[in-house]
Amino acid sequence: MVDDLIIGMAGSGGDGIVSAGESLISAAAAEGYFAILTKSFGSQIRGGESSCRLRVSTRPVLNPGGTLSVAVVLNWEDFLKFGAELPVGANTVVVYETKTGVEPAVIPLGGVTPAVVFAAPMEAMALKAAGTMQAKNSVVLGLLAGWFGLARKSILKGISKKFARKGAAVLEGNERAFAAGLEYAEQHPLSADRQLSPPAPTAGRKLLTDGNDMCGAAALFAGCKFFGGYPITPASEIMQYLGREIWKYGGSLLQAEDEIAGVAAAVGASFAGVKAMTATSGPGLSLKTEVLGLASVAELPLVCVDVQRGGPSTGMPTKAEQADLFAAVFSAHGDTVRPVLAPISVADTFGITVEAFNIAEQYQTPVIVLSDQEIAQRKEIVTPIDTSRFKLIERLKPTEQELDQYTRFRFTESGISPLSHPGMKGGNYLAAGIEHNEQGAPTASGEMHARMNDKRLRKMDPLKQRHDLFVLEGDPDATIGLISWGSVAGVALEALHLARAEGLKARLLVPKLLYPVAEDVYREFFAPLRKCLVIEQSHQGQLYRIIRMWVPVPPEFQVLAKSGSNPISPEEVLEKIRLMARA
Amino acid sequence: MSTECPLSPEVFTAKTFRSNLKPIWCPGCGDYGVVTALYRALAAIKRPPHEIAFISGIGCSSRIPGYTTAYGFNTVHGRALPIAQGIKMANPELLVLVAGGDGDGFSIGGGHVPHAIRRNLDLTYIVMDNQIYGLTKGQLSPTSPRGKKTASTVYGSMEDPVNPLLYVLAYGAGFVAQGVPADMEGLANLLEEAIRYPGFSFVNIQSPCITYGEPDTQLKTQKTRMRKLEAEGHDSSNRLRAMELAQEYGRTLYTGVFYRNPNPPPTYESQIRERQQELNGKDMALEQLLGAKDAENGNLVAG
Repeated sequence: MVDDLIIGMAGSGGDGIVSAGESLISAAAAEGYFAILTKSFGSQIRGGESSCRLRVSTRPVLNPGGTLSVAVVLNWEDFLKFGAELPVGANTVVVYETKTGVEPAVIPLGGVTPAVVFAAPMEAMALKAAGTMQAKNSVVLGLLAGWFGLARKSILKGISKKFARKGAAVLEGNERAFAAGLEYAEQHPLSADRQLSPPAPTAGRKLLTDGNDMCGAAALFAGCKFFGGYPITPASEIMQYLGREIWKYGGSLLQAEDEIAGVAAAVGASFAGVKAMTATSGPGLSLKTEVLGLASVAELPLVCVDVQRGGPSTGMPTKAEQADLFAAVFSAHGDTVRPVLAPISVADTFGITVEAFNIAEQYQTPVIVLSDQEIAQRKEIVTPIDTSRFKLIERLKPTEQELDQYTRFRFTESGISPLSHPGMKGGNYLAAGIEHNEQGAPTASGEMHARMNDKRLRKMDPLKQRHDLFVLEGDPDATIGLISWGSVAGVALEALHLARAEGLKARLLVPKLLYPVAEDVYREFFAPLRKCLVIEQSHQGQLYRIIRMWVPVPPEFQVLAKSGSNPISPEEVLEKIRLMARA
Repeated sequence: MSTECPLSPEVFTAKTFRSNLKPIWCPGCGDYGVVTALYRALAAIKRPPHEIAFISGIGCSSRIPGYTTAYGFNTVHGRALPIAQGIKMANPELLVLVAGGDGDGFSIGGGHVPHAIRRNLDLTYIVMDNQIYGLTKGQLSPTSPRGKKTASTVYGSMEDPVNPLLYVLAYGAGFVAQGVPADMEGLANLLEEAIRYPGFSFVNIQSPCITYGEPDTQLKTQKTRMRKLEAEGHDSSNRLRAMELAQEYGRTLYTGVFYRNPNPPPTYESQIRERQQELNGKDMALEQLLGAKDAENGNLVAG
């Protein structure tokens, strides 16, 4: 029995591989397992190669995992296109389509010898059972259920739900195809045991969702009443989710004519007094930056989500990368601090999005949430979130007394001034991108500009003490440290667990607040460290470099940085920890 | 002599809407007339200043919200319209005015105009058209005539100007008018009518630039050049005729209403309200939020 199974499947567009993965994760959720499903495609709209990777476990899953336990190959050409995304190793069970005509001894895996190599006539079984090749993915589900002990009842239930609408003939065909796969697996037992242990008995109700839907749901929970945006991969699903839901909660949504209009409308809605949001990906963030500057100087709350993809420019829209950090932190004109937050998982996207709204409202500032393609589009089984533990913060409104002689940008100790909105009698003021005095009147005074800059920067200082926006794990007396953020943090966390299982002492810091840089938090973390490794999915190592701008770092401060779409595996990080421990 | 107090303490005069900020405009600038006409129009509309949101872009004319007592938002170059739409969507009860120059509206922000028109939110867009970039000191603008010599076209412009009237008529704006500050009464009436129109309304104001503008565009000559559409017998419900007349932009100085849709279609915000009512209210539990599509896709899984 195993506790953790990583299944990678690849085929051409019409093979239904992704659909099989979705059936599996739904079944796993129903049975009480934890799982992550990531999908990967070529850039074609239809057809071309497609793949998915399902990691299913009896314990919460932190990342999509490294080397596959099971590889399902419908054709070799497509499988090999995914390269490092679907790595086969010495412990992998490889199941491939007989029709590919490749002998088990000469499969094209570049010298890797998997534990088991098995050719199965999947297409032929589908044809025989259902009369159509389209039932191939049901055969695959049968094989996986049989060989790996995966939730056969729940899979069958899923099949009947999925095909019920397509008529009895299609449904029965797929049921027979599933049974054929199952029977084949039983008649051809594997030489290696890969049966998944039953789920923990306490497993209860679970949610199955992805980061983009989670982000939209969190926005609604936080009280977001307006969304302005423009379609862009891989962020569009946030707009699609809200386009379906936001009306039910008294809000509205504008699919604008461009990225700029999307964020501009959101700034307008915020000026009008409601919580507002926009979402985009790298190129869109570039377009929005001027208006983000307006929100900074007019001191208007705003949440801007950037679902990062490979860049620059169009880059790799369907692949994850963490290379928009510099853009999020530095692309503002003028002396501006925009808080930047990053969730580390689908589940975490909820809390981070709510936090973004809270920070935006409290400090009257735009906040950037850096999600990424992986978190945004992967399906994750999530333990239901206790929403009662989230406090919602609303912007500071002027009192009756303050409205008597309202001063919009009044200098206060905290730097935060009460904010009125149109409709509020006595609160009339001029908001502007132009530098202004306390009343909001335009000014070109150097002294006033300096004081206003100071106000706008100072009000954000308390954020740097937000220890709760950092995850700290591992041994407090370790001299080896790891830092990681966003979707890669789950990889680092698993590597840390693996290292400790080997008796290696290490400590991990995961910043969910990336900017402003919480100098004290890093300083405390670095104090006992001799060596530290930053792990991130960008070619330059952007967080690594930003930390060095603000904080004195340990003597050996290194980075494991890779361009997007080059997966970082827990095993790889573990190897780095071993090396650091040895030297 | 009556000793009665007025029943309502709210008496709206032009003064109600004038702020104490001193305009940065040059003496003799057409924009002074525009803001005065606007004060008069707002006094006639009788909405208190705090229920008015006045949004502008960047340029000389975009300073205008600060000279009123309304909630003002002097935003960034070219984005006044999308910002105003966000405001109106967030709070449809507000009276939303948008203003800017010809560069703001038909050059850097030109892409937003058709979309504001086709969405048809109830807002009034006032363009102060002076055929020049004044604030940046005299460069070619999108409405500068061909051949115009400016700081950025010292040998003369080699392109045709945008025709703002034809532009908005072509995209189906429900109310299209042109005014001149030289005719204060006519302009105040036009602005009032535009604000009262239930939907997107557009007023192009030939507002001369005293510093960089041509002599034949100045206020004095406007009085002799202007031809009132009403006096010409134009039927403002005739959109095709309006487009014909609009082609005279740059040649004949027509003032008045070019087009007024006799059957205004529903506004965007009224449709928003309908949709909100139709789909109205659910519990805030996460399961509900995420589970909204579970019937379709099995998104929420019961253990």
